[in-house]
Order: sequence, then structure tokens, then C-alpha cells
Amino acid sequence: MTHWIAVVAITIMVGSGLRIFNAYPAFARRGETFCCYPFENKPIPAWLTFGGWLGGARHWHFAMMWVLVLDGLLYMAFIYLHGEWRDLVPRRGDLRDTIQMIRFYLFLRRDHPHQGKHNALQKSAYYAMPWLGVVLVLTGLAIWKPVELSPLTAVFGGYVWARYWHFMAMTALVILAVGHVFMVFAVDPYSMPSMITGRYDERFAPDKRDARPFYHLLPPKQP
Amino acid sequence: MIHRRRFLELGLGSAAAALLAGCNSNGPRWAQPVLDLTERENEGVERFLFRHRSMDTVGRNVKSAGAAFPAYFIANTVPMWDPAKMGPWRLEIGGLVAAPRTLTLEDLSRMPSVTQRVNHYCVEGWTAVASWTGVRLRDLAALVRPAPEARYVDFQSFDDGYHESWDLPSAMHKQTLIAYGMDGQWLGPAHGGPARVYSPVKLGYKNTKYLTKIVFLPERNGGYWSDQGYEWYGGV
Repeated sequence: MTHWIAVVAITIMVGSGLRIFNAYPAFARRGETFCCYPFENKPIPAWLTFGGWLGGARHWHFAMMWVLVLDGLLYMAFIYLHGEWRDLVPRRGDLRDTIQMIRFYLFLRRDHPHQGKHNALQKSAYYAMPWLGVVLVLTGLAIWKPVELSPLTAVFGGYVWARYWHFMAMTALVILAVGHVFMVFAVDPYSMPSMITGRYDERFAPDKRDARPFYHLLPPKQP
Repeated sequence: MIHRRRFLELGLGSAAAALLAGCNSNGPRWAQPVLDLTERENEGVERFLFRHRSMDTVGRNVKSAGAAFPAYFIANTVPMWDPAKMGPWRLEIGGLVAAPRTLTLEDLSRMPSVTQRVNHYCVEGWTAVASWTGVRLRDLAALVRPAPEARYVDFQSFDDGYHESWDLPSAMHKQTLIAYGMDGQWLGPAHGGPARVYSPVKLGYKNTKYLTKIVFLPERNGGYWSDQGYEWYGGV
């Protein structure tokens, strides 16, 4: 349930955030240039934005931020109480396993690496997401109240940089989220009914099928 | 009877349609009361975070924007005070005050002045650094002595009815100036001369240019941009 709220809330947050960004689609302070963004002054395509105009997008952004933060806290409480966080916290060797997993997806390794509930690449991605959320909240506060919360803004290198990190953390989260949805469809569509039913047929697990994106998508033949 | 699959198809279809319709739209109309509510709640959060002690600062290595400081852009003709037609410029301070005053630019410039190099935080997301010279509004308030019921201040201009009203604490912040100088020069028409409100604790649009009147009020009085849907509080 928190997942579905997050889908809607993140979509609106990203859309309205991009609309706000389009009011000044650059990072440079006036009279300066900015080193680290190649698309300065190029607006984001309007169809990716939400809120209609700057003021409207700001209202949506400042409303939905509470929904998303509450949803995130609820989700964290849920996986803590259910012990599911144990499946996500990195362990020794996870970095090596993540590299093995990437090798497997790139056809550099034949067999699917051994995995628990999630494979190591998944674990890394899912583990990074809440941290990106924390960065997004903190940088968001830093650019919302750069005077009242100036010590926080200073932590991120001042207003211009805090705005940049807010944008980059959003980009990283979108890449992970889009990658996640792509992999669900391309590697393990069998997991989707479990989002509603809570049951999962282990015979269809990706490691049993040696599944890569769009590869071994069908279940293995029964012996 | 609608079967479960048909129900799911309909549900997914309408969700997708809603999403597509949502692209670059204002969002559904029913959401407006919710957005109004969150704006009020967020104003509460902003008022809670407000501190008279929190100051905007600019690092020594940060350059001032200079000529790159965005100038007046609302209309094609820049408002200009023409003493031949309008007489000498004056600033009226009144409303719920014990001793209303009218000050000339000379009166203003003879009062104790402050020069501060601060950021301009625009609602659009850009910032620009300049150095501003003027009189603290709190010093002007001490002159006219606002009544205890005066909890808001309206800043009015000779620019076609442009005004913005503020909460009293933000107006009494030490960095809130009635500025008549910018980067060591007299404030010109491009940036709101002869005098304007200037404070880093509010977004740019709250800082009325071409100021002629300061009115202490018991209630808020909206504003040019606030009435068009931008946040009334607009704090930084």
C-alpha cells in the first residue's frame, strides 16, 4: 500500500519539481557560470512537468512533500516491524555479489548468482533509495528555507549547490525507480501478483530461471 | 455485472488517463481546497521556523551580480517617478500607528543607515547577490509607533497598484530595509527607485519596488503576486 502511494506521490513530486525547475532551468547564481550541469538554460519538456505554472507546481510540491515523507516513514516502520529490513541491509560480500550480478546481466557470466529474497544488485538499489530520500528531504529543506535553516544549507555548500544536489538526488531516484519497474516487467513479472496477494511461487523465481531482462522469461519446464 | 478483470482494466485505464491528463496541467480541481489547506499549514511551519537571529550571509569569495542583477520585467515601460508631474517623492507611513509620518528621500537618507550584502531569492529559483543601503524598517516603526493590533504591514507602490502585505515579525527583521541604495549607487528605476523594500527573509516578489506607502494593518491585505496564486507568506 505504501508502495502505491509512493508511486503517485513521487510522480507528482518529480513533475511539479521539474515545473519549478523550468522557471529557471539553470543552477548558476546571476552573474556567474555553473561548472557541473551541461544543460544550463534548457527547459525540461513540458509534458514531463506537472502543476501548470510555477505557483501551482509549488503548491503541489509543498503539499505532496508531506504525503511522501509520511509514506516513507510508514514504510520504514513497516519493514522494521516485519524484520524485512534484514533482507536489505548490505552485508560483507554484497559489493562483490553486485558486480557478479551485473556481469550476469551483461552475459559475462552464464549462471545466475545465488541469491536470497533479493539479488545483490537489487539489494544495493533498494538500500540506496531511502538514503536518496533522506538527501532529497534535507536538500529540499535547505532550498526551501535557506535563511532560516542556513546551517543546513551550508552543509550542502550553499543554496546553489543544495539546489543542484536536490536535482541530482531526484535524477538518481528516478533512474533507480524506472530501472526497478523495468526489471519487474522484464525479469520477474511473476512477482507482481504477490504485491496484492502476498503469495509468491518460488518455482518462478529469477534465479531458478537464470532470467535476464527479456531472457528466460517463461518458467522452466517441469521435470 | 463487472468482472474482476474488467474492473482492473477500467481502473488501470482511468488511472493512466488521469496521469496523461495531468501532464503539465494544474491538476484536478477538487485538489484545490487541499492545496489551500497545506499552504496555510506550511505558513504555520514557516512562521514557526522564523527567527530574528537568523541572518542571510554571502561568502567573501562570492561575486555580486552587478549588471546581471535582473531588472524590472513586469511591464514594458519601467515605472519612473517624475518629480515634474508627481512632485517630490515621499514615503507615507501610516495605518494603525500613533504618529503617522511622511518622509522625503532626504529625511530617509539622514536616518541611521545599514549596508548589507545579501542574496536575492527569487521564487523562480535563481539567486543574485547585491549590496543594499537603506533604513531598517524597525527603526521607521519606532518613529511611528504601531499599535499592538498592527500585526501586518502593507507595502504599496506607485507601480500600477503593486503591493504586498507582510506578517509583522518578517517586517521587523533586522535585514528588512527600506533601501534607497544598491551597490553603492542611488537606487535607479530598473531596481525600484527611489526606494523599495529589500529583505532576504522574503522571496523577491514580496519585496515591493517603487515604494510610496507603508501601512500597518490588523489583517493581511494580500498582494500583487499573492493574489495571483503564489504563496502569501513567501518566506525564505
